[in-house]
Amino acid sequence: MIFHIGYLILITAAVLAVFGMIAGFWGGRQRNVKLALSSYHAVYAVAGLVSLAAAILWYALLTDRFEVAYVWNHSERALPVFYKFSALWGGQAGSLLFWLLILSGFGAAAAFANRRRHWALMPYVNAVMLGTSLFFAILLIFAANPFRLASFVPQDGQGLNPLLQNYWMVLHPVMLYLGYVGLAVPFAFAVGALLSKRLDNEWVRTVRRWTLIPWMFLSAGILMGSQWAYMELGWGGYWAWDPVENASFLPWLTATAFLHSIVVQEQRGILKVWNVTLIWMTYFLVILGTFTTRSGVLESVHSFARSDVGPFFLVFMVIILFGFLWLLFKRLPLLRDEQAIESYTSREAAFMANNWLFAGIAFATLWGTFFPMFSEILTGDRISVAAPFFNKVNGPLFLLLILLMGAAPLLGWRRTSRQAFRKQFTWPTLIGAATGVAIWLLYDAGYPAIGLAACAFAAATIVQEYVRGVQARRITSGESIPAAMGNLWRRNGRRYGGYLVHLGIVLIATAVIGNEFFQQNTNVTLANGESVTLGRYEIAYTGLEPNRKVNHIEYGARLMIFDQKSGKTLGSILPRRNIYDKTPEQPTSEVGLRMTLLEDVYVVLNGWETGGSTATFTMYVNPLTIWMWIGGLVLVLGTLVASWPHPGRRRSEAAASIAYAVGSAGD
Amino acid sequence: MADLSDIRSETPDAQAPAPASGMVVVWRAIFVGILVLFVVLLAWRLWDTNKSEHRASGMAPPFTFTTFEGETISLDDLQGQGVVVNFWASWCDPCRDEAALLEQAWRREKDNGIVFIGLDYLDQEPAAKAYLAEFGVTYPNGPDLRSEAARRYGIKGVPETFFINSAGEIVQTVIGPIVNEAQMEAYLAEIRP
Amino acid sequence: MNRIGRALFALAALICLAWLGSGAVAAQDAPTSGPVEEVTLNDVNEVARDLWCPLCSGVRLDACELKACDQMKDVIAIKLAEGEDAASIKDYFIEQYGPQVLGEPPREGFNWLAWILPFVALALGGVFLWRQTARMMRPAAETSAADAGVAPPGAQKQTEDDYARKLDEELAKYG
Repeated sequence: MIFHIGYLILITAAVLAVFGMIAGFWGGRQRNVKLALSSYHAVYAVAGLVSLAAAILWYALLTDRFEVAYVWNHSERALPVFYKFSALWGGQAGSLLFWLLILSGFGAAAAFANRRRHWALMPYVNAVMLGTSLFFAILLIFAANPFRLASFVPQDGQGLNPLLQNYWMVLHPVMLYLGYVGLAVPFAFAVGALLSKRLDNEWVRTVRRWTLIPWMFLSAGILMGSQWAYMELGWGGYWAWDPVENASFLPWLTATAFLHSIVVQEQRGILKVWNVTLIWMTYFLVILGTFTTRSGVLESVHSFARSDVGPFFLVFMVIILFGFLWLLFKRLPLLRDEQAIESYTSREAAFMANNWLFAGIAFATLWGTFFPMFSEILTGDRISVAAPFFNKVNGPLFLLLILLMGAAPLLGWRRTSRQAFRKQFTWPTLIGAATGVAIWLLYDAGYPAIGLAACAFAAATIVQEYVRGVQARRITSGESIPAAMGNLWRRNGRRYGGYLVHLGIVLIATAVIGNEFFQQNTNVTLANGESVTLGRYEIAYTGLEPNRKVNHIEYGARLMIFDQKSGKTLGSILPRRNIYDKTPEQPTSEVGLRMTLLEDVYVVLNGWETGGSTATFTMYVNPLTIWMWIGGLVLVLGTLVASWPHPGRRRSEAAASIAYAVGSAGD
Repeated sequence: MADLSDIRSETPDAQAPAPASGMVVVWRAIFVGILVLFVVLLAWRLWDTNKSEHRASGMAPPFTFTTFEGETISLDDLQGQGVVVNFWASWCDPCRDEAALLEQAWRREKDNGIVFIGLDYLDQEPAAKAYLAEFGVTYPNGPDLRSEAARRYGIKGVPETFFINSAGEIVQTVIGPIVNEAQMEAYLAEIRP
Repeated sequence: MNRIGRALFALAALICLAWLGSGAVAAQDAPTSGPVEEVTLNDVNEVARDLWCPLCSGVRLDACELKACDQMKDVIAIKLAEGEDAASIKDYFIEQYGPQVLGEPPREGFNWLAWILPFVALALGGVFLWRQTARMMRPAAETSAADAGVAPPGAQKQTEDDYARKLDEELAKYG
């Protein structure tokens, strides 16, 4: 009974979304306050209803109601409560409901936060958010009903995919969804700006934080996915350029470009067409990514089971593509640059180059992801496009990006004088070059030398900026260094937080280079007590430890790690294999990992003889990989610093906001 | 309170822009065209992927292969006979369930104008030969190089078996192992010349 | 560690690995006929690292645990023992399975498009943007002069008189 109600709730939400959309679009156009208010109410109502529907599905999962097909497919009695909760997003229908939950939540938050300002834009913003919600509600109602009932009540469920029974796998989708879905808000503002013809900086300024926060979640989600892949999948890597991975990466690329590009629009009133295009592409790529993951057009290890949602997505994507394009062409005259770029070595030019590079990387990634599909349709050949392609194509582009990331903040707005060049670029260039030469001499490796040189250059520019900033503060106010840094963050959060984010990226790039070029590995079968040498370590196998858990048996192989030269004991690790009761042919493994700042010792348990007299391992030494996770934390910290509301700024923003002109057709 | 920016930032449509130059229109058209192409390809791919029937039917697609013994056989050579084409692999566990059945049927029917052909899918020669030796298979078997035949017949996995009559038409398709004698006999009856 | 030290260490490691690896091979049942050299697990994975599982999507051969992949690795071991080099082994698999085992589009025919198009798009885009910027920079002198008069984006406090005056100007401009 309650599940029928759940389905009806979804239908109600869809109907309200339609009304809200009409109210929003019409009210915005007619500047009708009542209709505009209606759109707000619709947004709140839809959010409330969807929350209720999600609560009902959670109830079904947590109370083992296996008559609900979704619960039967993705849960079981023996599943720990934590995973029953996360099973909401473990399958197709549930994850679509989760998408809708977060979307309607973001819509409500955006509406509430702007309930007294941006009256010209908000009705349209609400309408676009409701439109997206409507699409997902339609999917749930017609193609993937989470409340579908079986004709009988099964005794027990089929269990959750073992790969998803991992706390990473609980956190990673949530982060990704918060990021992915949140990017609909800036898009809604862009549409609002275009429709209302308010194409000055109002929408751009408002949208900055609404982009930055989802961007942070998306970055965190992607990094968490990489960390999970690194620690669980056991092939020594963290990113496979799988179509679903790329699906999350593509909107990140365009969103990052957008974040940077709106700075220029705010400062100089240019790159307006870039901005609306970038956020349009971000939204489209979000929908495309969601489509790719669920429709089966591309093969992936991540894909959900095939379902009927494909055609719906296709129609929606056509609307997004051609609807927005029409709007863009119509409003193109209003998107004229207010200033000009005056020099190739200006910060504006650097930002434009930034957009160009990001767009290029996004295009290359999109192209590589879909090329197997094109090839199969047009030539019938099956080819695969994996890491070798992306490394060769995207690698050089990312290198350029890192160089640009370091150089751009050093350039001046409008133009950079010769003295400024000397003052800004000397030290970082020297440090970068020195690093490159050093790496090349030490390791006789060209690519990593160039890569690390670029990273060192970028890091040096960041350090230089901080040093100069702190020095400047100390001269004027005589503060201590920590206080000066704190004040830089407080008063110039956008800039210095941004630098932190860049530093995070540099650290991540360093980790990538270390892992890609300097990895050592070996495959070996060890008898109990036997050891093997790898890198600077001696690794000895000392026995198999089986461990009974709730729904699986965990087999761990104990390995002791010694320093190869001194024989000192460095630690022990336990690579594991989990054999699940319900699905013994689908074991999962957990890597035995010892992380230090310099390198990781990484061991996968492949197999063993019964009793553990011998065991087979794949062992890696991964240099610098920990810096990827550290870089991620720095990135998140930087984003928080950059987006922290500054008390002084808030007031001036409020003063600058635009009051709504009451329509002449009074009411 | 009405703010100046209200009016300033809203450029009225009365300011008609200069009509787009020829080149701009061309570029716009190209851009739109690329998007259209992308969507069309996606739609095609979606339709193709979700088609429930993508396996070959009607006239049997031709193929040529070389057996593990070095003999070259093509489907055309077998015109006039009933042909059973079985896709298998040594790493495929369900294939093992029907291997003996296939061999027995071959030995029985080879004088009745029926030929059994085994096409080895995404497999390796040593493992394949070991598999054939294990089940004492004597009918022609060979690797399906580059999965050419597999693609033409539209298989999605192994084992899959196609029963082709003497006129070259596919009359039966079996996905998964053939379960028992009765089923085999029923299909063979349809293709016996 | 200096370069000579590294080289010596690498040599020592190789010897150790080969010695240990031979034990590993003995524990497996990979047949080695007429061995030219001892083939270790590491040698096999060296080659396997450049190949992709034909049955999976995006799983590297050395990471794949399917039976079919194990058989492929067995064949690699056999071929290495017979003295074949990595390139000819890869060619063999391409002949068997098609180019999907490569992990990147082969550089022939239609597949050239995969490699070229991103760089062509970047180049064309770059040229377009360069020329657009150049065009923008030509009236640069005029723009910097007018700069002083342009109000920065964002609202400014206007007195009533200013407001009225500007209103008149705008209405006159746009009719």
